[in-house]
Amino acid sequence: MALAATLLTLVATVAWEVACRRAGYEPTLNDTSDLWAQRRSAVRPDSTVIIGDSRALFDLDLDEMEKGLGARPVQLGLVGSCAYPVLDHLASDPAFRGTVVCSLVPAMFLVPAGPPLENSYRAIRRYENWTWAQRSGHHLGMFLEERVAFMKQDDLTLAALLKRLPIANRPGARVGPRLPPYFSTLDRERRTLMWDVAAAPGPLQDRVKFGWIPLFTPPPPPPYVPQEAFLNFIHTAIEKRFKDAVIAVEKIRSRGGKVVFVRLPVTGPLKELEDKATPRAGPWTRLLQETRAPGIYFEDYPELNAFTCPEWSHLSGPDSVEFTRRLIPHLKTALAQ
Amino acid sequence: MLFNSLTFIVFFVLVMGGFWTLKSWSARKNLLLVASYVFYGAWNPPFALLLFLSSYVDFLLGLQMAKSPVGAQGRRGWLLISLAVNLGLLGFFKYGTFLLQNLQWLLAQVGVVYQPPEMNIVLPVGISFYTFQSLTYTLDVYRGDLKPTRSLRDFAFFVAFFPQLVAGPIVRAADFLPQCDAPAPARPGRIAWGLFLMTLGLFQKVVLADTLLSSSAETVFGHPGPLVPLDAWAGVIAFSGQIFFDFSGYSTCAIGAALCLGFSLVDNFRFPYAAIGFSDFWRRWHISLSSLLRDYVYIPLGGNRKGVARASIHVLIVMFVGGLWHGAAWTFVAWGVLHGVYLVIERLLGGVFNAQRWSHSFLSKLVLVLLTYLAVCITWVFFRAADFPTAARLLAGMAGQIPVGDAVLTTRELLQVVVVTVGLLISHWMLRDTSLEVALKRWPVWLLTTVWTLMACALILNQGDGNAFIYFQF
Repeated sequence: MALAATLLTLVATVAWEVACRRAGYEPTLNDTSDLWAQRRSAVRPDSTVIIGDSRALFDLDLDEMEKGLGARPVQLGLVGSCAYPVLDHLASDPAFRGTVVCSLVPAMFLVPAGPPLENSYRAIRRYENWTWAQRSGHHLGMFLEERVAFMKQDDLTLAALLKRLPIANRPGARVGPRLPPYFSTLDRERRTLMWDVAAAPGPLQDRVKFGWIPLFTPPPPPPYVPQEAFLNFIHTAIEKRFKDAVIAVEKIRSRGGKVVFVRLPVTGPLKELEDKATPRAGPWTRLLQETRAPGIYFEDYPELNAFTCPEWSHLSGPDSVEFTRRLIPHLKTALAQ
Repeated sequence: MLFNSLTFIVFFVLVMGGFWTLKSWSARKNLLLVASYVFYGAWNPPFALLLFLSSYVDFLLGLQMAKSPVGAQGRRGWLLISLAVNLGLLGFFKYGTFLLQNLQWLLAQVGVVYQPPEMNIVLPVGISFYTFQSLTYTLDVYRGDLKPTRSLRDFAFFVAFFPQLVAGPIVRAADFLPQCDAPAPARPGRIAWGLFLMTLGLFQKVVLADTLLSSSAETVFGHPGPLVPLDAWAGVIAFSGQIFFDFSGYSTCAIGAALCLGFSLVDNFRFPYAAIGFSDFWRRWHISLSSLLRDYVYIPLGGNRKGVARASIHVLIVMFVGGLWHGAAWTFVAWGVLHGVYLVIERLLGGVFNAQRWSHSFLSKLVLVLLTYLAVCITWVFFRAADFPTAARLLAGMAGQIPVGDAVLTTRELLQVVVVTVGLLISHWMLRDTSLEVALKRWPVWLLTTVWTLMACALILNQGDGNAFIYFQF
C-alpha cells in the first residue's frame, strides 16, 4: 500500500509539473524571508544596499550598478513593503556605514500600519532569529525551486489556487484586495525580472495592471472609530514616521554612511492615483528637506522619464537594465553631495 | 526543526536509515540521542545544554531518592530539589516577565512605583513539555512507582526523544523507559502505519490548519474593531479547528515518527469534538497533559474523596494550573478556569440528567455533542485572544451585541470554515467510540491508498515556508 501510494503520488507530482510548465511557469526562486535574511547577512559595513518596495526589486539592475558604482549592491527591497523598518534596521546596526539607495513610494513609506510594515518586520525578524534549521531548509528549498516549476509560492500553492476561485464577497465586507498574480523570476541575489508574458499586452498583464488600483486605494475609515479620531491617528503616525526617518538617516550619516532616495517610474492610471494621493510637493519634498538626503525623481530627467511600465508599476527586464544605466550618473552625483 | 520542513524530511530519512542499518541496540539509542539533541539544538544550540542539565539533575536525583526508603524525609528532600530545579527553570524562562509585571501591578495598587528590569528572556522551545515529562520521572521514583534507571543515556534519551520533545505527547518515564531496555518485537506494517500517520499529521497541520483555517482565525482575532456575529463566530470556529488540527497533527506526526523508529507513544487526542460534556472532552483532548494533571495534581490534592465542594475546588485548581501551563497570561488562566467552571457545573448537573432515559437517546447525544462543542468554542476565545478587551469584543460580536461591526472574511474563507468544520464534526462523531487504526482497518486497500495519495499530493501542492506549530510556544 505504501509503495502504491508513493508511486501514485510521484505520478501525480510529475503530471502537475508538466501542467505548470505547459502553462508557462519555469523554475525560479521564491522571494522568502529566508532569502532576504541570506542577503542581509551579505551586507558588509561599507556595502551599498538597495531597500524599498517591489520597484526597487524590478527596476534596479545589480550588474549595471556594480559597473557604475564599482561595488555590487545588496538587494534588500521587499515586495509590498514599507521601506522605513529596513532603513531603521540598518541605522540601528552600529557596524553599518555604507550607502542606502531607498526606493520611495510615498504612500508605502508613510503607511501607519498593515501589511506593508508587517512584510518588512517579518523579514527583519527572520534575519534576527534565523535558526540553523531554517537556514538548511532554505538551502534545500532553493535547490528544489531552481529545478521544479510548480514550487512557486505566490501562485501555485493550494492556498493561492483557492484564492483564484471567482467567489464574490459580501457587499460592504472589509476584505483586502486580491494581490496581482505571479509575474516575475528571481535569482539568488534577489534580482527580479518581469516575466515576458507580463511585459507583453494580454490577459496576464491586465490581471496585474488592474490589481494595483484597489491595492493602492486607501480603505475607508472604520465605521466604529469617529472620523476625527481616525484622522488624528493617521496624522500622528505620519508625523512620527517623518521624525523617525530623519533620525534613521542621521544615524547612518553620523557613521559616515549615505542615504539617497529614488522615485522610480510609474505609469498610467496608477501614476495618476499616486500623484493625487501623495503629490510630489507633499511627502517627497518634505522628506528630502527634513532628512537633508539627496533624492532622484524620475520625472526630473528626460532620460529617466522615457520608460513605460508595461503593467503600470514596474519596468520590464530589458528596460530595467537601461534605466539603471541611465540612473548611475545621477546616483553618483547624489552620493557625491 | 519543524516537522513540516524540508530540513526535517532529510533529517528523518537519515536518522531512520541509520537506525535500521545499525545492528546494535545500544548504537541505535546513541544515534537517536544525538539526533534528538541535533533536532533541538537546530533552534537554539545553547538551549540543548539547558535540556541536558535538566535531564542530568533529574537523573542524579532519581538515583539519590532510591537510596532512601519510600516516605523517608531524605527522599522528600530530593524530590523538593527536583521540583525546585524544574519549576524554577520553567518559572524563570516562561513566567519571569509575567510575574514581574504582576508584581508591578500589585505594588502600584498600594502606591509603590516599581519598574521591573527589561528581562528579554527567550523561551526555550517546548520547555513546558520536557519539564513536565522529566518531573513525572522523579515523582514516580519518589512514590516508589518506578525504579530509577541507572543509564544516563537512556534517561537523557527519554527526555529528549525528538518526535515528542517540543510539543508532546508528554510521555511518562514508566511508559517509555521500559521500551529502552530492548528493541520492540518486529510487527509487520508498523513502519508503513507510522508513515501513514506522519502523512495524516502533516496533512492536518499544513492543509487543514494552515491553508484552510488559519487565515480566518488570524483575521478575526487580529481585527482591531468590532465584528458582525457571522464573522466573529466563523473566526472562533476556525480557530477551534485550527488548534485541533495543528496540535493533533503534531501529535499524530510524533506518534508516526516514533513508530517508524520502533517506539510507541501514547494517544493524545481521541476525537474531542464528539465529546458529550467536559469531563469527556478532557478524556479526549491533550490526553497526556490532562491525565498527568489528574494523576500528579488532582488526586494528590484529594480528588473527589473529600466531598463535592472540595472536589470542585480541586477541579478549579487543576484547570487553573492547566491554563497557566499553556502560557504566561491571564487569558490562558481564564480559559482554564472557564473549563473548570464547566466541569463543576457538569458534575453538579450530571446526577440529574444521567438518570433520565431521554438523555441517552441518539438525538440527545447529538445535541449534547454540539452544545459541548459550542461551549468549548467560547473558551477558545480566551485562549486565542491577545488580551481581555479583544476577547470581550469577540464575545460581544458572537452575542450580536455590536451595533456596527465589520465583516472581514471573504466568502471563500467562510466556505472553507464551514466545509472543514462540518467534516471535522462528522468525522469525530462517527469515530467517537473507536480508534483511527480500528476504523481504517475496515477500509479497502484501494480506498486507503487513494486517501493516502491525496493527502500526500495536497502536501506537495502546499510546498513552501512552514508555519510553526501553535503548541511550540508552550
